[in-house]
Amino acid sequence: MRLTVMGREIMKKILISLAVLALTATGVQAGPEEDRMAFVKYYKAKFPSVPDKEYANGVYAIDPVGRENWEAIEEFPPYEPFIDAGKEMWEKPFANGKGYKDCFPDGPAIQHHYPNWDKKQKMVMTLPLALNQCREANGEKPLKYKKGPINNILSYIAFQSRGQVVNVKVPMDDPGAVAAYEEGKKFYFTRRGQLNFSCASCHLQNTGLKVRTEILSPSVGHVTNWPVYRSKWGTVGTLHRRFSGCNNNIRAKALKAQGRQYRNLEYFLSYLSNGQEFNGPGARK
Amino acid sequence: MNKRNMIGLLILSLLMAVQVAVAADSKGDMAKMDNPMAVKAADAITKAEAARKKAASVDGEWRDTGKFIKKAEEAAKAGDYEKALKLAKKAEDEGKLGYEQQVSQRELKMPSYLKY
Amino acid sequence: MRKMVRLVSTLVVITSAAWLTACSNKPVTKQEPTAMAAPADPKIVAAGKAIATGRSQGNCLACHMIEDGASPGNIGPPLLAMKARYPDKAKLRAQIWDATAANPESAMVPFGRLKVLTDDEIDKVVEYIWTL
Repeated sequence: MRLTVMGREIMKKILISLAVLALTATGVQAGPEEDRMAFVKYYKAKFPSVPDKEYANGVYAIDPVGRENWEAIEEFPPYEPFIDAGKEMWEKPFANGKGYKDCFPDGPAIQHHYPNWDKKQKMVMTLPLALNQCREANGEKPLKYKKGPINNILSYIAFQSRGQVVNVKVPMDDPGAVAAYEEGKKFYFTRRGQLNFSCASCHLQNTGLKVRTEILSPSVGHVTNWPVYRSKWGTVGTLHRRFSGCNNNIRAKALKAQGRQYRNLEYFLSYLSNGQEFNGPGARK
Repeated sequence: MNKRNMIGLLILSLLMAVQVAVAADSKGDMAKMDNPMAVKAADAITKAEAARKKAASVDGEWRDTGKFIKKAEEAAKAGDYEKALKLAKKAEDEGKLGYEQQVSQRELKMPSYLKY
Repeated sequence: MRKMVRLVSTLVVITSAAWLTACSNKPVTKQEPTAMAAPADPKIVAAGKAIATGRSQGNCLACHMIEDGASPGNIGPPLLAMKARYPDKAKLRAQIWDATAANPESAMVPFGRLKVLTDDEIDKVVEYIWTL
């Protein structure tokens, strides 16, 4: 009799610990804020001397040598002409006489509204997508999402929005929003491509270490500075162009820019940067 | 000849023309398919494409798989079946590995180094 | 009772670990682990070095310091004293073939399992790395 009671007790304990394990394994118990805090804590342990606000400067928060070059580049910002071109785009009316101003009455400093969960369309809305929806509603052709003129208007909006703070919200009472966030998080931690890396392999597990001469950047701060003038590109490009490039580097086929997967990844990544200042357009190697 | 007969004849000749065309076409294919290597290469390419699609269905396609299939098709067209087979096999392997890679991670497993 | 459970779970861990290692070691069978004494063929070592240090194939330098190799990364440990670290050459080969078999969280590219390199190329790389 005693044995069966003990057996039952052990059984119960095993079941409870299994349930706890299952919960931790799937990350169900961790909401967006717990995730963000865990990332912040992780980077803080790795880079104790880096102040919280510095993460908006990306890799230059943790790379003193690269930072010197970057600061020199920022003295004559290579993205400036794109801001000017974007200002023209913003002010020029569409063929129907309306313009971006009509779609975004509080513009052009609207960076801090994005990305957001669009309750009506039941999807993550990003700034490039919103700009194209505005164009299409007014009979204009949508812009391409990786290269070209979309970067001009994004540069102008980013510049006008400098100093705003990332403030992404995941409405926990909306299962669609929670699912989108969770999908973005899963994407971040999933290994892909022939080289078998996840975003986390490089930008969490090995942040601060070097691939050849390149220091791997932390994910807090990944989204604050777009669009970015990359010396490698010789021009300004979008965040989703960078996602594609990253996927290509690990020998995975890039997914569609502004497709569901990348938008959800942007949702998750942006949440991680909550509290950081927007400082786009940026300049990077 | 009345109108009805005329239409009948026209339809008949049309049908015959179609038949001849079909026969000619399959004859061309037959010539190629006579070569067992050509059949093998075509089969390997079909399999590779299926594997690629299956990987893509779980967002697991690799960067170069599609390129290998394209190159395999070009090689087969040029009659280099040996090369086509090799490339198609490579692509099929990649498709299978890319699919397995995603399916094996269906459940999100948080890394132990990230402490909550 | 508790001791029993612990014993059983230890056994399970050991057998599954052994099974995993056995699995990942499979392609090694053609290699004699006791080849330690035999001097490595300089031609094979040179071919292995070309694969290991070149950017397009092995690209070991992306993550590891190797001798005087130009601009090495530091994600993985420096490749030195390899004979001391891997007395069993087969273990070194298994690590290159699929490091995630021994440690699922390893960031190292599974060069064999995901066919980044062929078995033959891996053999050559192992010969080279083992000279370091």
